Amino acid sequence: MRIPTIQLVCLAGIAFGALASFRAAGQEHGEDGQSEADAHATEAVVIEEGPHMRPPIGVDMTITAGDWLRAPSAEWFAEQADADPDRYSFDASLGDGEGGWVDSQDVFRYRYDEEEEIGAYWQWVTASQLTRGRRNYLQYCSSCHGIEGDGYGRSGQWLRPSPRNFKSGYFKFTKVTAPLPSDAALHSLIKRGLDGTPMLPWALGDRQLDDVIQYLKYLSPEGEAWRDWFTEIGEPVDPGKDPWIGEEKFAVERGKRLYHGDANCASCHPGYVKVEDLPELLGKKDPTSRDDYYLPVLKESNYTVLDQPVKILPPDFTFHTVRSGSTPRDLFQTIAAGIKGTAMPQWKGALEDKDIWALAYYVEDLIKKYKDDNAARTEFFTELKPQK
Amino acid sequence: MRRLFHHLAGAGTRLWSTAFGVAALAALAEAQGGKRWGPTEAASDYGYRFYDLFWLITILCSVSFAIVCILILIPALRDRARPGHKAKFDHGASLKDKRVTTVVSASVFLVLDAWVLVIAMTDLREAWWNIPDEEEPGVYQVEVLAQQWAWSFRHQGADGEFGTADDIIQINELTVPTDTSVSFQMTSKDVIHSLFLPEMRTKRDANPGAINEMWFKAIRSGEFTILCAELCGFAHYQMHGKLHVLEGDQFESWHEDASRLGIAAFDTEDEEAQWAWKWE
Repeated sequence: MRIPTIQLVCLAGIAFGALASFRAAGQEHGEDGQSEADAHATEAVVIEEGPHMRPPIGVDMTITAGDWLRAPSAEWFAEQADADPDRYSFDASLGDGEGGWVDSQDVFRYRYDEEEEIGAYWQWVTASQLTRGRRNYLQYCSSCHGIEGDGYGRSGQWLRPSPRNFKSGYFKFTKVTAPLPSDAALHSLIKRGLDGTPMLPWALGDRQLDDVIQYLKYLSPEGEAWRDWFTEIGEPVDPGKDPWIGEEKFAVERGKRLYHGDANCASCHPGYVKVEDLPELLGKKDPTSRDDYYLPVLKESNYTVLDQPVKILPPDFTFHTVRSGSTPRDLFQTIAAGIKGTAMPQWKGALEDKDIWALAYYVEDLIKKYKDDNAARTEFFTELKPQK
Repeated sequence: MRRLFHHLAGAGTRLWSTAFGVAALAALAEAQGGKRWGPTEAASDYGYRFYDLFWLITILCSVSFAIVCILILIPALRDRARPGHKAKFDHGASLKDKRVTTVVSASVFLVLDAWVLVIAMTDLREAWWNIPDEEEPGVYQVEVLAQQWAWSFRHQGADGEFGTADDIIQINELTVPTDTSVSFQMTSKDVIHSLFLPEMRTKRDANPGAINEMWFKAIRSGEFTILCAELCGFAHYQMHGKLHVLEGDQFESWHEDASRLGIAAFDTEDEEAQWAWKWE
């Protein structure tokens, strides 16, 4: 019998490939567990081969050192400790007697600043994770956000709203009242995308996404954002139970009053009532001092492109696409948390939750009625505007 | 006898599985909720040409295929081996036979292809390349800037010029009027993209460093699809948008409002955002 040489060689090749990929998978899993604890000491960069793109010429793909980054608050650790009491323990002697959580795997550490008398949790992110994050970032994000994360990638130039500059540490649509969003908030932001912008809903795996998020945090400048002692990290605003179920009509009415009155949304966003109806609606005199009550007003923001400040137009809800969701729940979160770095303040605390819900219902009503119906929108505004 | 029985059973199985397959396909078609399997209905004035060519090619191919099948089946049945008959095989006895075969098949092929080619070239000349002149009045102009992975569209405001304060910029959405020639100039920031408007039956590449042109005239209003038809990176599949076609006065009012909002959003200091080019 003749020996089928070619077939044998092919089989050997397949077997070798399978073995190699099993080994890579094994390394990938091993890293999440015990080995991460002593990672600060070893600093070996282990990258499993994945579907990463070839590095752009002259771009360094590997990050050689891990880093400490700002971690969630004590409440988060209390929750974690409930789920995994073997790993986390409370040490009352930490933080000048205030106490702090101790992670037996040493991924998280409590640090106390004696001068400011304030404690904060920090998280060790390994060089391997940062490198994986960087590779995924280069593949998925860099075309707009720039190879070095400065928000000025090749595809992001000339684009308004401009892609986020990760070196500034601001994020607009986090739905978080604290200055910085938690990992979970960033997760949902990236998975959901921002409507009406090239920020698409990214279909990344959770693990890939986590790597990218750690890398984004790592991009913040020294002493700022995730590298700052005191920056607070928050979870997305909890909308709680919808207080207007079954009374949506009243919510819209209430929202309309607030929008044009107490909350004064119509000082930046367009007004949606007749100017002469304002006194009747609000019980006070015409509060507008605008050239055109039915146009939004361009606002300054903290965002820059190539050091040039960028102004932002508050949306006309009957025309523009709202970025982070147009259900009352999404709108509640956006209004409550405000939009970081822009003129849109945080309303949580300034208004009662029920009133924020009412505003959300009013905005949703505007979007539903007029956003995609040009005829209805034209008719609506023709009625509002004074006849010339 | 037994052999024949097996043979028939085999044929029966094939028959049944074919019938089952057809039934399954029909059920699938039904489950699609009456959605069309073919191309959606054309919405541009030259869209009918696509159908004409599509059906011409489909019918020509189907008819030729049927004829070829019959021509194969007849000798295959006539000359097969069977009791009292030995299988017979030949491929033309004489040189003349071969010549006739070659000439007949070559002319069938050439005639069919020439037929399709003539129509396709006419379509190209009369529709695809018949881009309205920019000085022609009543042509609506749009500048398209493609990027990984989105479309930016820039319209002129009332002043009829690109790159001014009253321009309208849309991302992944495009609004155009009916019964008006819409003329595009397009380019790309990064890699090659392709603006594909399936209902308008038109598609053209957007290349970095070059300005390409395309046009259509919508004959009915509605909401249509914008796709990227050139693999442009891993999120290519997400690079789609909506084309809104509005009736004349609806479009007028939309354009007026959009332009006013464009002025509201215009920031003279932000020169970087004011990409536009002159039409030549």
